[in-house]
Amino acid sequence: MTDKTMDVFVKKTGGWAASQLEACTRCGLCAEACPYYLATGNPDYTPIWKVELLSRAYQQRFTLVGKVKTALGFNKPITDEEIKDWSMIDFNACSMCGKCAAVCPMGIEIPKLIGTVRAGVNAAGYAPEGLKSKAKAQDEFGSPNGDTVDAYKEWFASAKEKVGIDVPVDVKGAEILVVFTNLEISTKKSNLYDLAKILEAAGISWTTSLEARDAFNMGKIIGDGKLKKKLLMRIYNAAVELGVKKVLVTECGHGFVALRDDLPEVVGKALPFEVIHIAGLLPDLIAEGKIKVQAGKFANGKTYTFHDSCKIQRTGGYFEEPRDALKILVGESNLKDMASNREEGLCCGGGGGLRAIPEAKDNRMAAFKLKLHELEEVKADVVVSTCDNCQLQIKDGLNFYEVEDVEVKGLIEMVADALIV
Amino acid sequence: MTDETIYRHMQDEGVSRRDFLKMCGLVVGAMGMTKMPPLDASGLPASLNKVDKSTLNHVAEAMETKPRIPVIWLEFQDCTGCSEALTRANAPTLSNLVLNTLTIEHHEALSAAAGFQVEEAKQQAMKKYAGQYVLVVEGSIPTGEFAAYCSVGGRSAEEILKEAAAGAAAVIAVGSCASYGGLPAADPNPTQAVGVMDLIKDKPVVNIPGCPAIPEATVGVITHFAIFGTLPELDELHRPKTFYGTTVHDRCLRRPFYEAGKFALSFDDEGAKQGWCLYKLGCKGPTTHNSCATIRWDSGLSFPIQSNHPCLGCSEPNFWDGGGFYQGQSTPLEKPTLGTVGAAGAAGLAIGAGMAAAAKAKKEK
Amino acid sequence: MDWNATLEFARGPFFNFALIFFIAGMLYRIANVVFLGWNKDFAKPRASKGNGVVKSYLRGGLILPFFPREKKAFVNNPITFLAGGLFHLSLFVIIFLGAAHMLAWKSLLGFGWWTLPLPIVDFMAAVGIISMVALIINRFNHPVLKRLSGPAEFVNWLLVFLPMLTGYMMTHHMFFEYKVLFSLHMLSIDVLLIWLPLSRISHFVFYFFSRTIHGVEWGKRGAMP
Ligand code: SF4
Ligand code: SF4
Ligand code: SF4
Repeated sequence: MTDKTMDVFVKKTGGWAASQLEACTRCGLCAEACPYYLATGNPDYTPIWKVELLSRAYQQRFTLVGKVKTALGFNKPITDEEIKDWSMIDFNACSMCGKCAAVCPMGIEIPKLIGTVRAGVNAAGYAPEGLKSKAKAQDEFGSPNGDTVDAYKEWFASAKEKVGIDVPVDVKGAEILVVFTNLEISTKKSNLYDLAKILEAAGISWTTSLEARDAFNMGKIIGDGKLKKKLLMRIYNAAVELGVKKVLVTECGHGFVALRDDLPEVVGKALPFEVIHIAGLLPDLIAEGKIKVQAGKFANGKTYTFHDSCKIQRTGGYFEEPRDALKILVGESNLKDMASNREEGLCCGGGGGLRAIPEAKDNRMAAFKLKLHELEEVKADVVVSTCDNCQLQIKDGLNFYEVEDVEVKGLIEMVADALIV
Repeated sequence: MTDETIYRHMQDEGVSRRDFLKMCGLVVGAMGMTKMPPLDASGLPASLNKVDKSTLNHVAEAMETKPRIPVIWLEFQDCTGCSEALTRANAPTLSNLVLNTLTIEHHEALSAAAGFQVEEAKQQAMKKYAGQYVLVVEGSIPTGEFAAYCSVGGRSAEEILKEAAAGAAAVIAVGSCASYGGLPAADPNPTQAVGVMDLIKDKPVVNIPGCPAIPEATVGVITHFAIFGTLPELDELHRPKTFYGTTVHDRCLRRPFYEAGKFALSFDDEGAKQGWCLYKLGCKGPTTHNSCATIRWDSGLSFPIQSNHPCLGCSEPNFWDGGGFYQGQSTPLEKPTLGTVGAAGAAGLAIGAGMAAAAKAKKEK
Repeated sequence: MDWNATLEFARGPFFNFALIFFIAGMLYRIANVVFLGWNKDFAKPRASKGNGVVKSYLRGGLILPFFPREKKAFVNNPITFLAGGLFHLSLFVIIFLGAAHMLAWKSLLGFGWWTLPLPIVDFMAAVGIISMVALIINRFNHPVLKRLSGPAEFVNWLLVFLPMLTGYMMTHHMFFEYKVLFSLHMLSIDVLLIWLPLSRISHFVFYFFSRTIHGVEWGKRGAMP
């Protein structure tokens, strides 16, 4: 098994990874960023320690000093036991939130390296069962929860009845291809209706696709390169076939980043379309006057705060856009930032596939406690997010800690509610 | 040993008691003495040793009772600079003391006689005072196949030195050449020259390095031995601690400027005119053990740093090869040439690139 | 021990060798990374990469020690931030603005520059030494640092600490003769030069890789406001 892990490590280590591994000074500051370390105090959760296996493999295979160290027995070969151990810290205690990269004085992109370790662990077959089964389901049915094409068809059709809109499916030449996630079909069907209302009101030509129906990418999460490519290509092919100019991801954070930042590498060329997120699109529509919203619709004396999602904000770069929209919707004075915000935002604790790993629940909840603390600090009544996974995690967490007076909202539903048609 | 005491001899020369005491004061100063060696070590009657006396009295008493000690002065690969310095020393009375009073039995440069006569005289003195005389050496000694490069009367310096040292009570190496080899030993040391202590292991050897040696130090050590019959306290390089215990930098008059970071950057800039520290002009003061900064030269008139020139470190071993005189002391003595850097750099690059390429090839398999 | 010979050796052939080894070693390290192959980036930038790189360096420089980008992280581990930052600052001041060191650079590079008065350099050296002591104590105590530290980390510390300590003692003529301390100072520097390319102290080169990459990636995504 260790051979497979080593193979992955060796294959994935190019100049990029090597330069990052070489740069670490072992200062330990990255730990102070990691919600899982901060919440548990477990030094094994230090971000760069999560990369230790890769770092050792790199030394053993790529550097002279490493080879000498290996020959002298200072750098021992990686064992199965260790791969299992690292599965516990790389999958169960990392949401790939990327905050460590912001804190590291050297600017090392630790999460990407953790992704490589995950791939190595997965290649050896030691990825958590919860993720493995979801990955298998997405491979087979196209959706990690097993939702089939028919389920999506049904969902798309239901919009007619709910909001009187014919959801366009596989319409060639549309401007925007909207890609949803399995989380919406299973827990937040209303997103489709709300978004349909908004897009119709803005007069945008849009379409959905039965092939490109789920932006979720279990391949990226579990570190299965083949699966990741397969899932990305589904969307790529559909978008190319339909000839759309933009692909809009509704909520899913990592799915969005996979499409925008990873897909070009997978296809080996620049994308013929733009990948955007509702966190950018909706505020733009408002700002450009394409849709009209009732200013101060939610200004009802409650305090709102915006949760910076790791993938959409810290990685995606949509810091100000959703805030601008929210300021209009809730009134500027009612929107308060949490202590850690924007690129310093604190992870909700449920990203990176953690919500699909039952054994990681303790870590997940412990990390959420930090978030809860920040929510309480600003005395937030409502927390708004542009990521459905974050919303679910925050709801889970609030339940777990029996906090009843905090509401969780998505930006789509708020804009739809305030829409003046 | 001559029968008369130093004082007696001086009286015969017409020196008054007052002048004698003055001279004792000078000797005390020259020896830089604050503490006296026990008198019994000098073979004096114990009765003299009882009362606590001032240093001056002590010296005066020693001179009054102590027999004169003969000095034999040999020159090898030298420039006679140390002798020159001595004859021009601060107090004429002092050099007079050494050159006349203490009986220099033999000095090649100063001797009136010449040729075989002087050799003859030396042999006689060595025989007469065997085991008692002080041997002073000036200049380095060529060795091995090059021994013949310095010969006197057909005999090599090494031979002469060994012969003379055999009967000496103590050997004093005056100047950097005699101490460490000095200029003749500078790279590539064509005569394989060495200092006295490299050849003479079975006698006490005192080094008074310097180029030239500070005459006061030379006089101080010789008088010390002449008066007390013992050598002053030495450091690990056989240098008398009184004169070599501190560095030039320790006592330098420009030291405050060093501390304040005010440096002359060239010999004619404002800093030089203001008397700022010469460190950046290559001053070796910080590693140079010598008394230039305290005793100074020419009757305490000045010393190089006072005269706006950096210390060359002339009293340190191998000072000729210790980097350029005007190059900062912190600079490396050897540095890679562009060629070596290029070659080594290319080798590093090649190994790195080679390993990377091999790794890449393996990866793509 | 013949300290004159030792000093000459440490300033002469040993230094020469160490410097050559250092240059070759660092070039090896860089080549080993650079020629490993880099993926081309095809993603369309959402914002300026250049802006990201500039900010990356500003932050990378300012994060230590006085303007921590992440306030919480600073509060949690102030020793590493403060002592680490002060240590680096003192290192730069001493190595580049100390008169003696500038002369060494001058002899190597052929040109010199302005230097700071000794008392300031001296003060910075004391700051650096104290910072290093704080850092090693922290490394022994902090759970994360204990986890991350192998023998190499302690060797790194020691080999950086020795030149600082001997340099400081030398300027103050402490305990030993100047020449002895000078020799030890030079020897420790030579050993450090040899150790550098073998260790993580070489981060002073890879810093520029990782910070540039960080700037490009975050800048391109518009995540570097
Ligand atoms: S990406 Fe986030 S969760 Fe993962 S190690 Fe870094 S800080 Fe921790
Ligand atoms: S913060 Fe960066 S340099 Fe420091 S230990 Fe973590 S990865 Fe290494
Ligand atoms: S001039 Fe030379 S001896 Fe005097 S303080 Fe400067 S460096 Fe020291």
